[in-house]
Amino acid sequence: MTVDGREPDLVIDATGVMKTYDTGEVQVQALRGVDLLVPRGEMVAVMGPSGCGKTTLLNCLSGLDTFDAGQVLINGEDITRMADNEKTEFRAQGMGFVFQTYNLLPVLSAVENVELPLIVSGTRPRDARELALSALERVELREYANHRPGQLSGGQRQRVTVARAVVNRPSIVWADEPTGALDSATAGGIMDLLVELNANSDQTQVIVTHAPEVAARCHRTIYMADGLIEREEAIRPLAPAPA
Amino acid sequence: MEELFGVSMNTIATVVIAITLVIFALLAWVAFRNPVMFKTGLRNIPRRRAQTTLIIFGLMLATVIMTAAFGTGDTVSSTVTDDIYELTGETDMLIVWDEEGSPRPEDERVIPLEDIAAWEARFAGDPDIDGFLPILLETLPVVNTATQLNESSATVVAYDTAAAAPFGSLRDLDGNVVTVTGNQIVLNEDLAGEIDAEVGHTLVLLYQGYPVEVVVAAIAPNSFLSGTFNVGASEFPGGAVSFEFLAEVIGRDDIAYAVVVTNAGGVKDGLERSDVVEEKLNEVIDGTPYEVVPLKKDAIEIARLVGSVFTTVFIIFGLFSIAAGILLIFLIFIMLAAERKPEMGMARAVGAKRRHLVESFLAEGMGYDLGAAIVGLIAGVFVTFGMVGLINAFAEAGLGLELHTNLTPRSLAVAFCLGVISTFIVIFLAAVRASRLNIVSAIRDLPEPIVTNPEAATWRGYARAVLNAAVAGGAVAVSVFALYRLPDLAPLFTIALLFGLVGPFLFVLRRHNFGAPRHERLPGQRIPLWPLALVPLIPFYLVALLVVRVMRDRNPQPGLWLIILGILLPPIGLLLIASQDRDRPIAWGAGFGVVGLALAALFMEWAFSSNSYFFFAGGISLAFGWAAFTLRYFRVAERASFTVLAALLLAFWYVSPAGALDFIIGDLEGGPELFFLSGIVMVACGAFLIVYNADILLPPIASLGSRLGRIVPAVKTAVAYPLTARMRTGMTIMMIGLITFSLVMFSTVNDNFDNIFLSDDAKGGFETIVFVNSNNRTDDLVGALQERGVDTSPIVAVSEQRIAFAGETEIFVDNPVDPSAPGYAGTYTVIGADEAFFGANEFELKRRAAGYGSDEEVWRAVASDPTLAVIPGNLTGEGGDFSEFDLLKLDAAFVGEGFQPFDLHLHAPGTDLNTTVTVIGQMDDPGDIFWNGIIVQRDTAVAAFPDSDSQRFVIKTVGGVDQEAFAKSIESGLPQASAESFQKLLDDQRAASQGFLLLFQGFMGLGLIIGIAALGVVAFRAVVERRQQIGMLRAIGYQRSMVALSFIFESGFVALSGIALGAVLGVSLSWVLFTSGGIGEASEGADFIVPWLQLIVICGIAFGASMLMTWFPAQSASRVAVAEALRYE
Repeated sequence: MTVDGREPDLVIDATGVMKTYDTGEVQVQALRGVDLLVPRGEMVAVMGPSGCGKTTLLNCLSGLDTFDAGQVLINGEDITRMADNEKTEFRAQGMGFVFQTYNLLPVLSAVENVELPLIVSGTRPRDARELALSALERVELREYANHRPGQLSGGQRQRVTVARAVVNRPSIVWADEPTGALDSATAGGIMDLLVELNANSDQTQVIVTHAPEVAARCHRTIYMADGLIEREEAIRPLAPAPA
Repeated sequence: MEELFGVSMNTIATVVIAITLVIFALLAWVAFRNPVMFKTGLRNIPRRRAQTTLIIFGLMLATVIMTAAFGTGDTVSSTVTDDIYELTGETDMLIVWDEEGSPRPEDERVIPLEDIAAWEARFAGDPDIDGFLPILLETLPVVNTATQLNESSATVVAYDTAAAAPFGSLRDLDGNVVTVTGNQIVLNEDLAGEIDAEVGHTLVLLYQGYPVEVVVAAIAPNSFLSGTFNVGASEFPGGAVSFEFLAEVIGRDDIAYAVVVTNAGGVKDGLERSDVVEEKLNEVIDGTPYEVVPLKKDAIEIARLVGSVFTTVFIIFGLFSIAAGILLIFLIFIMLAAERKPEMGMARAVGAKRRHLVESFLAEGMGYDLGAAIVGLIAGVFVTFGMVGLINAFAEAGLGLELHTNLTPRSLAVAFCLGVISTFIVIFLAAVRASRLNIVSAIRDLPEPIVTNPEAATWRGYARAVLNAAVAGGAVAVSVFALYRLPDLAPLFTIALLFGLVGPFLFVLRRHNFGAPRHERLPGQRIPLWPLALVPLIPFYLVALLVVRVMRDRNPQPGLWLIILGILLPPIGLLLIASQDRDRPIAWGAGFGVVGLALAALFMEWAFSSNSYFFFAGGISLAFGWAAFTLRYFRVAERASFTVLAALLLAFWYVSPAGALDFIIGDLEGGPELFFLSGIVMVACGAFLIVYNADILLPPIASLGSRLGRIVPAVKTAVAYPLTARMRTGMTIMMIGLITFSLVMFSTVNDNFDNIFLSDDAKGGFETIVFVNSNNRTDDLVGALQERGVDTSPIVAVSEQRIAFAGETEIFVDNPVDPSAPGYAGTYTVIGADEAFFGANEFELKRRAAGYGSDEEVWRAVASDPTLAVIPGNLTGEGGDFSEFDLLKLDAAFVGEGFQPFDLHLHAPGTDLNTTVTVIGQMDDPGDIFWNGIIVQRDTAVAAFPDSDSQRFVIKTVGGVDQEAFAKSIESGLPQASAESFQKLLDDQRAASQGFLLLFQGFMGLGLIIGIAALGVVAFRAVVERRQQIGMLRAIGYQRSMVALSFIFESGFVALSGIALGAVLGVSLSWVLFTSGGIGEASEGADFIVPWLQLIVICGIAFGASMLMTWFPAQSASRVAVAEALRYE
């Protein structure tokens, strides 16, 4: 894989990733040996029918879940060799997450939710607060900083989630159906935000989605079926990384 | 044990078993009618085994506590009863001189043998009476010449042993019949053990200083026939001699001191004839100075009463745990309902009715309930064994016997049924609450939507809520209570009650087609026919109307308007119920708040008519509840209104028991039940204050951010999460707070009373007390000891005291505050002390009469003036006295600071002797323990009560003397003396007090398990509820340990809140009650001590156990698989 004829700076380098769910009675092969390379700054959409292994792939690549075979290098580091605490630390330093159901802590305000990843990764609380407010500013929710999730609309909640995902300037943002619970207008707004964040930094984004309009905003779409990458489709070219 | 709270145990057993059977029948009917929903409920039980175990563990506590309380009562009752049967044998009745009816000097209180012979002749061949036996009785010192051991007070009974066959005969330890002749004596086991006597040993009895030799013929078990007459004592040294022998010793051969009578029948069945025999004997002795004492019957009744008292005390102390247990049951089922919500929503979606959900929930709940009741019963039996062991270890000396655990099947059945019933009621309420769900929200596991109500926060809606509450049960509650309290208004409340009974039935039909217009009827739903069962009530209504008419004519108090209102109001209410919108929400809290207000008014009436503080405080608390519900209904700033009301009610519970409101309400009386009520109300207020205001802790926690570093989010969420679930947090805080409150308050009050009554001040500066056998007094103790070679050099001062005990005196007092008011009369111990006592004692006085500048001045005045007296602190105390006599009790107002001296008129019963002494001081309370008597000069006491011959000495020694060894040397030198070190007596009492404290703390501490189980249940539930959030936290970088820590912090916050709340309320209320004298006059102005060590231990155990319990759910949370959790719904 090359970008403008140069070897890309790979953020994700996965080889032969296999994952089987064992329910005791039935074994389900969720991933059957997935290979995937994602260069820095790319927005990749993962699509496919329900049960094809999209979310499992995201979980395995991000270190949220373990896998049975294969290797995953994130920024050149092999997460398969990391202990649980190391993986957690690794996630805190370099990854952000956006989920369909927001997963905000209902008892904390918007700004407190956003500053969480910073505080757990050791940032001074005062600095964390400033960064969190600025992240909220980027998602245009500065004035809602002290609102709790219950006092926000679905779109606003998801924007808080995005702010939380990017506040620590991660190299990768993983998004699992980020617009799945939103109406089309609000979903469009969230995608504008993600695209803008991607455009203004060299942040890599992996987005699991069912929605073609979401995939259409990415650089590349990967189609999965039965635990394998069936095909992929380039949507728009990835801007060259600064030399 | 035959009674509990005055109700026969048989009645209680019948009622609770019947109710339990009804519950089982109801469940069987549900299972038969709808087996699918029933099975659905039952199959939920094994789904989460850890949670099921925790639920059963938490639910069983009520049964454990009741089983242990009943078991202890049964044990005490049966042990004392068995002991009485063993001691009395076949002796049932006693004929003695009637001391109260015919007061005479002691030597005149005898029964001529010829009278006894006449009675024997009269009742020869009587089918109810087997025999009479005249007896003589003396308390004498005994010395064993073989071992030189002595006993200063052995009870020697004399009778014709050959004639004792109807009484079961005097028998030795092997059961052989013994006949005593000449100077033979048969010792009971206690005396034989005391002086190490064996058959053949020669003993010396001292009668009025003269030695009388006897030879031991046999050793017999303790019984009346072997000289064991004092049922309540821990030791019964005694013996039996022949009647002729003792008659010769005392020089009177024509009289007996008493006659024992045996009823026909054996040891136990003879008891049934007691009433008949008493009646027959009374017919004969009528007009004589004698009285019949149904000895065995009285003793057995007392034994049963003691058993009931034990059970009652343990149940009252267990009420905290039972209350906490009920909260736990409710909490558990709220949690279960939350967990089952999507399933229940789905069931409703596919056609299940609310009733089906209730049935399914009941099936599941009763599965837990039955399991918990069975486990609780078994655990309760073990706890009973433990408690009996503790009582035996710490209190055997006080009880006088060793308890043998005994649980009757009846008590076990009652405990089991009460456990089942109480849990069933709570489960039923929780099930009804859980069944009221919005189907869509339930399926999606979203919060219940708030139904819009145009009447919300309006007076119209409020009135409708009140009406609904009245019909749905409020009218029944108020009517039943009012019928009891306001008999003058009985007709009105009879009508209200009848309609009240109908109301709940009709209310159940509110959501059926019953009463709905045709166009609103739900398709497919028939009008239920069972309301027709109400038709038979119509005649009752008509009868009630008739009663009103008749009562109105005869008793015009209830106004006509009231009767009309009573007749019309319920039907109007019913019409409104039937006609209102079936789906419009009803503000039940506001409605039942008004019912509470009506009950509060009735409580107040009860409080002032029966002088009961319990009902006054209960009424005030209910009125505050009404205010809270009403303000909430009208949406008056919830946080502010709940905070203010809780703070005000808390303030009431501090100032009112301290007497601050006495100028308005007078001096109302309260009992131990107030301990429970104060705990419930105060802890509830405290829990409200915490859950509505603890968020003020958040800013300081945030400001600690830089110091707490990465754990600051864990600390924040630890406070924030519980405050978003106020109900479950408040209930958990209440559970832990209630138990901590009860433990802390009990310990604090107990320690402070020990500090007053068992302090070294009780000794008054003396070290040793010596009781001298009244038949062998000595005027010169030191001389007598020196004569027998006892080293008296440690003695610094000796005071001789002569005592006329309560029962041997009559005292009259004019009311010194209001001479026109009736005076006081009663008996009380009078202590005559010599010059040495007045010079050497170090007692402090609580009050001095006007004109006396110091305590020394008072003592000097009494020493020099034979007409002056000092009274004990207890004479004006509020506590009850366990005495067979009618003790004198004076108003504390008589002895205010600088009081005017007043007179006591002392009278020796059966004589013309009257002596007047003037009170010039009152001893401080520590003196009560050894000097609980009116102190006068010795000569004054002897002159006033010449027939009272009790003598004792108190000795002050030089420092460094081994007091116990010194006391033993006195006993060995002076056979008629029984000596003891004050320090040892105090230490024994302190040990017994601490033992009982430990026992009660252990019993009440059982409730801690409830609070801890609640924390566990809440934490386990939180893990399930927050699974996704945990997954997200782990995704963004929370380590496993941090997740666990946040759960531990959260439970720690709740546990600490409960513990701190209970401890602060317990100590502060104890302080208020103690220093204000609200808990007894003795404590007023006394130094208050905080038992820090006990507090630390109690709080430490509670907190440690809470954290241990939280450890498991915290670990479970930390092990949540991130990817799974994020996918979890």
